[in-house]
Amino acid sequence: MEILKAAMAGTLESSDALVTVEPGEGGIELNLQSSVMNQYGRQIKATVLETLQRLDVADAKVTVVDKGALDCTLKARVECAVFRSCGKSEANIPWGGAVR
Amino acid sequence: MSDTLTAISPHDKRAQQQLDALLEQEGIRRDANLDYTCGIFDEDYKLVATGSSFGSTLRCFAVDKSRQGEGLLNQVLSHLLERQAERGLFHLFVYTKCDSARFFKDLGFYEIARVDGALSFLENRPDGFGSYCRRLAKSRREGRSAAVVMNANPFTLGHRYLVERAAAENDTVHLFVLSEDMSLVPFEVRWRLVREGVADLPNVICHRSGPYIISAATFPSYFLKDEEAVIQGHARLDLALFRSIAGALNITARYVGEEPSSQVTGLYNQVMARYLPQAGIACRIVPRLAAGGQAVSASTVRQALHDGRLEDIRPWVPESTWRYFSSPEAEPVRRAIREQAQVRHY
Repeated sequence: MEILKAAMAGTLESSDALVTVEPGEGGIELNLQSSVMNQYGRQIKATVLETLQRLDVADAKVTVVDKGALDCTLKARVECAVFRSCGKSEANIPWGGAVR
Repeated sequence: MSDTLTAISPHDKRAQQQLDALLEQEGIRRDANLDYTCGIFDEDYKLVATGSSFGSTLRCFAVDKSRQGEGLLNQVLSHLLERQAERGLFHLFVYTKCDSARFFKDLGFYEIARVDGALSFLENRPDGFGSYCRRLAKSRREGRSAAVVMNANPFTLGHRYLVERAAAENDTVHLFVLSEDMSLVPFEVRWRLVREGVADLPNVICHRSGPYIISAATFPSYFLKDEEAVIQGHARLDLALFRSIAGALNITARYVGEEPSSQVTGLYNQVMARYLPQAGIACRIVPRLAAGGQAVSASTVRQALHDGRLEDIRPWVPESTWRYFSSPEAEPVRRAIREQAQVRHY
């Protein structure tokens, strides 16, 4: 999927994450801030990158401010931000299509 | 717990009173210009947390002492971020007290300037201001460099005189044109007229000012009327950022036009004269160019256009600006100036 415009999903509340995606400058540029960076930083990064890959996003600036979200939450927030950024969130959302 | 997070309407008297009381209790001055305010009310409908926005800035945050430490700020900020996103604003700034800055640093914001231990200014990009300075640094030149910052609304012989003076006394002049589109003459026109107006001066480099020099984010009171103390606070913040910009470009002097009439620019000049030298930057206040017994200023030009006296502006503006305003292309701008009640800068 191609990131057409900036979009955001999630919140800054505990156990959630705020994900912002913007058109990239060639490649994925991930900026991650997390309240559990020392414990789970690597896993959060892997989950976000994997979700982007499944959505076929190869060119994006992604900002994640994580407040201890579980993997399923992270996936949902990344997915939603990407769908919003390419106008796929209004109708016929490809549930389970690109993201398994 | 049944807290409710909701927008606070400017017409909701009861909520507005609670808002004033909460801000006062937490020692925060309420900004005169806010375009959106939200708050969290508890089950007795008492306001316990609030936050506001103005353009791309977020400000006037407060959480009741008895409810601090529960993550209410996170809810307020999430709500404001979502609303800003709906308006298409993603690059955001926060004004806050220095001892509250740490909360915002945990919520994806990064501090870019501090004034006097009183005010902290943050943005939600890890490298926004840094990359702005690095981009500017590409046009850094050896030798004496000076800066001129202008709105050029529109570009007059007065602006030209100031730039000429700076260009004669320095090896390089970095000329910043305010890129915020909040003036009667649109940015694209102001930018074009400035570039045409200084095209024959080889040592002048033009820059779009971006969000870090006299923008609606750093200096909202430049564009919208506010109190003297507020203007001074904004001016100091603006100069704190300018210090870093000057560093990136090796700027050692800033040239400004003497200000006889506008209150906000007058105050800005005073603040510059006082604080720029402390940062090792000379502040040169240049007397206004006079033509026909009158000081040339963009306000005077706009006043003449407002009154429909197009011919009158001719002695005050360079050929390029005259060509533009006397052409049919300028009709929408001329009309906007004619229809505006107040065309002078306050």
